[in-house]
Amino acid sequence: MVNLTLKFAACLRAIDMKVSTAEVLDCVNHLKLIDVIDEDLFKTVLKTNFAKSRRDHRTFDHAYDLFFHQMNSNIRLEDIKANENLVAANEIDILQKECVDQLAANLEMDQINQALINFLSGEPLTYMKMLRELQTKIEVARVINSNLGQLTERLQIMLKINAIRNLIPQFSGGNFDMPGSNKQKRLNQRLEERLDNAYQLLVKEPVPENESLNVVTRNQKRSQKLGDIPFANLSQTQIEEMRETIRQLVRKLNDIVTLRFASRNKGILDIKKTLRKSAKYHGLPLELKFRNKPLRKGKIVALCDVSSSVWSAARFMLNMLYSLQDCFSKVKSYIFVAQVADVTDFFDRYDTNDAVEKILNEADIEYNVLTDYGATLLDFKTNYMNVLDKKTTLIIIGDGRSNYLNPREHILQDMREKVRRIIWLTPEPEKFWRTGDSQIMTYKTYCHELRVCRNLNQLNEFIEELVI
Amino acid sequence: MYFKDIDDVEKRLESANYISSKEIAIIVFLATATEKPILIEGPAGVGKTELAKAIAASLNHELIRLQCYEGLDEAKALYEWEYAKQLLYTQMVKEKVQDVIKGAKTLSEAVEKIADQEDAFFTDRFILPRPLLQAISSKNPVVLLIDEVDKSDPEFEAFLLELLSDFQVTIPEIGTRKAETIPLVFLTSNNYRDMSDALKRRCLHLYIDYPERDAEMRIVRLKIPGIDETLLRRLIDTINNIRKLDLKKKPCISETLDWAKSLIALQAKDLTRDVVLNTLNVILKYRTDVDLAISNIDKVIAS
Ligand SMILES: Nc1ncnc2c1ncn2[C@@H]1O[C@H](COP(=O)(O)OP(=O)(O)OP(=O)(O)O)[C@@H](O)[C@H]1O
Ligand SMILES: [Mg+2]
Repeated sequence: MVNLTLKFAACLRAIDMKVSTAEVLDCVNHLKLIDVIDEDLFKTVLKTNFAKSRRDHRTFDHAYDLFFHQMNSNIRLEDIKANENLVAANEIDILQKECVDQLAANLEMDQINQALINFLSGEPLTYMKMLRELQTKIEVARVINSNLGQLTERLQIMLKINAIRNLIPQFSGGNFDMPGSNKQKRLNQRLEERLDNAYQLLVKEPVPENESLNVVTRNQKRSQKLGDIPFANLSQTQIEEMRETIRQLVRKLNDIVTLRFASRNKGILDIKKTLRKSAKYHGLPLELKFRNKPLRKGKIVALCDVSSSVWSAARFMLNMLYSLQDCFSKVKSYIFVAQVADVTDFFDRYDTNDAVEKILNEADIEYNVLTDYGATLLDFKTNYMNVLDKKTTLIIIGDGRSNYLNPREHILQDMREKVRRIIWLTPEPEKFWRTGDSQIMTYKTYCHELRVCRNLNQLNEFIEELVI
Repeated sequence: MYFKDIDDVEKRLESANYISSKEIAIIVFLATATEKPILIEGPAGVGKTELAKAIAASLNHELIRLQCYEGLDEAKALYEWEYAKQLLYTQMVKEKVQDVIKGAKTLSEAVEKIADQEDAFFTDRFILPRPLLQAISSKNPVVLLIDEVDKSDPEFEAFLLELLSDFQVTIPEIGTRKAETIPLVFLTSNNYRDMSDALKRRCLHLYIDYPERDAEMRIVRLKIPGIDETLLRRLIDTINNIRKLDLKKKPCISETLDWAKSLIALQAKDLTRDVVLNTLNVILKYRTDVDLAISNIDKVIAS
């Protein structure tokens, strides 16, 4: 039982689930407490110990199925209980071993073939590790603006899977010399299924569950003159008007925040002040003075797409964020097309409105390139990852239209692990999310919140929830 | 020994008015048998808090609850010095101060003498225990519910981690307090943010989803005995259809119960189109959600 649990844990680690030794030990102890013959029970015990958030459930189920059903179709829970010797050697298993050994002898044993051979013998670990490495290796290699590298590597694996598939009939008859026998058919079928599994793993990674994602696509109607006009359609005079409206909204919000600050956030007793006051009452501390606690809204990091459709929304969001700066411990902002530029400095030097105008002309960034979210994420990861911390709310504002380039969504997962929350704002209504080169459906798995933000009402509702 | 076996968990929860699934029973059994905290995740209103309450009730343990929020700190979670009381006492014992400093020749000598007495003001008498200290200090075993831990700050989470691994706290002025009995700990989360790996490592994980059809019917029967079976079936099917809509907030079990109660109050014998239209606001809290349900009304009403 220990061995099996360890092996399974290794598989989970190979697909990037974080399983610690302590958890393996816990799990083994738990298995001793139950009747492992009941599969529901068995699986629940593994799951509660190894998949510690709902996000991991899909990946876990996938791995469980692969490990216990597809790979080790001959594991019987009775045997797990009885002894460590899981694989009761029957004829088929012997045939399988001979066949796989022969395959190995007839193939050029490079890394890919070795992994596939192990996979065929029911040891999926090396293959899974290889796929995982493929993902990260390509990321580091930085194949600019394309995912060609990744595609060629995947293609190679596919070709080798097919090569093995073609070889199987030659060797599956073993020394029985009975091609077409029942046993051979069963063995062929088993090996074919495994190759299918290997192929599936290659082309389809399980995506994390993200049910708790808060998707906001509709909002309460508010009667505001400019409230429902899409940012992108505003005329120059309306933009001026918009600034005034925003100024008012911001003032209102600031008032609410200050009020809350005064009434609710009584901090700890301020001894000095209390004693000073007590002088009035012959030294009796009748008036207790409390130290006001600063508001604890963490840091904001905003990452904005500057392509024109998005920028029309982003500019107003930045405007509001900076007008409400005092509500946060820090606001940092970045813009991107295919690289990232830090524009925080503009807001430190200029008035908010001027800063927004200047950014578009003066930021240190190449504008005449295709929008590339994957490259942007990679650039952010390489150069700015250290600005993220557990107090950070990362706001990404963009339509996720990435010209069919590699989305590199795994980087967003890395970012998610560093921050408190990721909120994605898109100016596109939901009905366009699945169209063309939009990657919103890919990225949304890694966000805590996804909102449509294309007019003032929506922006206002969002900012309100953020600061209050 | 808390529970004999998994069936025992299920039975005793039911007698505490909680309908558990097999999975819940298994995980509760393992957690209690090995004294590990359970981290419960799930949508709002599926009975996360209720589970901790029911466990406490079925074991006859006191339930101590800590509600988490942004900005929650040790002073609100663990203990606080009762400054007001301390100040009051200093005033009342003013005269005593004369006695204490009698015989002191210099000012600094007097200060020394007072300092020797300082400890008198940092004793249990002046401590205001908050839920975590209460849970640790209790002589009898307790169930500690740390509700909505995802709303707390990372610093607090780190502090919680220490507590969950040693079940002891150090109060600088007094010393270390070790738990007399290890509390059964339940943490709930709505996934507002991800919890740290370190915290997850210490807990068993339990995901509670919306209940299966049969389970939800049992819950309603339990809370509203005598409800008409046909009405109940249609009610549950309709609410499950409504849950499938793309809502801002899906109706949860308490809404199912509220709905059933209002239908009975209205003496509605059946779930007709009109009845549903008139009572949608009992189960849907947002105007936009009500609108969405109305525009799908014929699809959601179960036959
Ligand atoms: N399995 C159950 N058996 C009996 N009653 C239940 C069950 N599940 C939920 N309920 C009922 O549903 C109500 C809501 O449950 P509860 O408050 O525990 O939800 P919650 O998951 O803690 O929600 P939130 O995330 O909003 O805190 C409870 O008052 C209880 O009456
Ligand atoms: Mg609750």
